[in-house]
Order: sequence, then structure tokens, then C-alpha cells
Amino acid sequence: MKSTNEQTLTFAFMDPPFESERTVTFFRLLEAALDKGANIRVFAYEGAVSLSLSLQKAHGNSIHGRNAKEEDHPLSKDWISSLQHKAASNNLKFEWINCGLCVDERGVTDVIKGCTRGGPPDLWRYASESLNTLTIGTR
Amino acid sequence: MSNYLFIQSQDPFTETRTSHQYQLAQDLLLAGNTVTVLLVQNGVMPARQKAISKEFDALLNSTVVVIADKFSLQQRDIFNNELKNNIYVGTLEHAIDALLAGHKVIWN
Repeated sequence: MKSTNEQTLTFAFMDPPFESERTVTFFRLLEAALDKGANIRVFAYEGAVSLSLSLQKAHGNSIHGRNAKEEDHPLSKDWISSLQHKAASNNLKFEWINCGLCVDERGVTDVIKGCTRGGPPDLWRYASESLNTLTIGTR
Repeated sequence: MSNYLFIQSQDPFTETRTSHQYQLAQDLLLAGNTVTVLLVQNGVMPARQKAISKEFDALLNSTVVVIADKFSLQQRDIFNNELKNNIYVGTLEHAIDALLAGHKVIWN
């Protein structure tokens, strides 16, 4: 599957991992976009810069007597990695920029491969070069 | 004339602004635009037949196209036969199709 620049979509997202259903919907949108043959560009800002934090660890659930493997706790860094692989296998581009100001505020500098540091001008560039942009605010 | 798709994640029972969002969709329609509302997350809650929301029912009685996300319905154990009239069941593909068509897609 090949995609032209005219099929590039930008998503701006600001929710941190593990706190809102919006995060799940956001990732579902990204996968749906890949299924439609679109290149993806993500600008993560505010709490969303933690989505790609490489230090995320799954944990068990002692209350329910499940270890980490049985609990199978989802990690957003793994979802990003999965989408990166899906895009690559479909010959699509998947770019991810974390807002550097937001990264510094939170100290989340250790991110998985393929996620880079940028700034608000990158969102402008992404949006200007894309066919369309969806901004998912917290409200 | 423009094409709008609202991704409606908020519901009228917990977010008072939702009634204004429904009204905006209807106003845009009356102004000659094409408007679709895609219900996701708790946005599907007023779609149940027994849910009471005058504002949502007014939206359904307009010619705004209302689609409920199948995944969000399943998460909340809402079956298709429990939905009010004039609601289609679909997926997030509708939002992506709209984005790729250059429509104005807005997250609520």
C-alpha cells in the first residue's frame, strides 16, 4: 500500500497515558488511519509526551492475584511501537514529535525509538503540509 | 457550504456544554452545511431508547446524520436494538474518511 503526501493526516494530542478514555480513542483513530492508507504525523504535547516514555513498566494486580503477565497491563509506548511497525509494513510514514517544552517540564526525556523532540513550530509545519489535522483537546 | 463531522465524546448527563454542541451541529446544518455527528465514548449514552435528553432528541429529529461507534456501544453493553431511531452504527473509519476527504473534523 502506498500513500502520497496528500494522504497525510496530523493529530495533535495532549492527554497523558492511563488517565482518560480519550487515549484509547486516539490510538484507535491512528490505527484506523493506517488502515485507510494514510501517513500519520503526531504532535504530542502537555501530558501526552509521556505516551512514548520508554521507562513504562507493566505491573501485576495483587488484589486480584494476577502477576504482570496475567494482568497484561497495556502500555502506551507499546501501542506506539505497534503502530510504527504496522505503518512500516504497509509502506506508510508514521512520525511522532513530542513538544520539547512539555518534555522538559516533566523530565520524560527517555522515549522509544522513532519518537523525537520538537516544538510548536513543528505542529504548524505538520498541519501545513498535511491534508487535514485533528486536534483532540482535553475538553 | 462545508462538510462538518463532530466526534462527540461528551454526553449531556455530565457535561452541560453538550447541549450547545448539539445546537451548533443543528445551526450549521440550517446554514446549509452537511453535518455528521459521530458518537464515541460516553457520547453514546443518550442514544439508548430509555435515555432522557431533549437536546439529543432534537438532534435526532433534525437531518444531522448521527452515527454511534460500535466499539463504544459494546464497551457499555448497549445493543443496536436498544438505540433510538435515526442512529446508524459505525466505526471510527467515518472520522478518517472525513479527514481524508478534507472535511472539517472537530473533537467535542
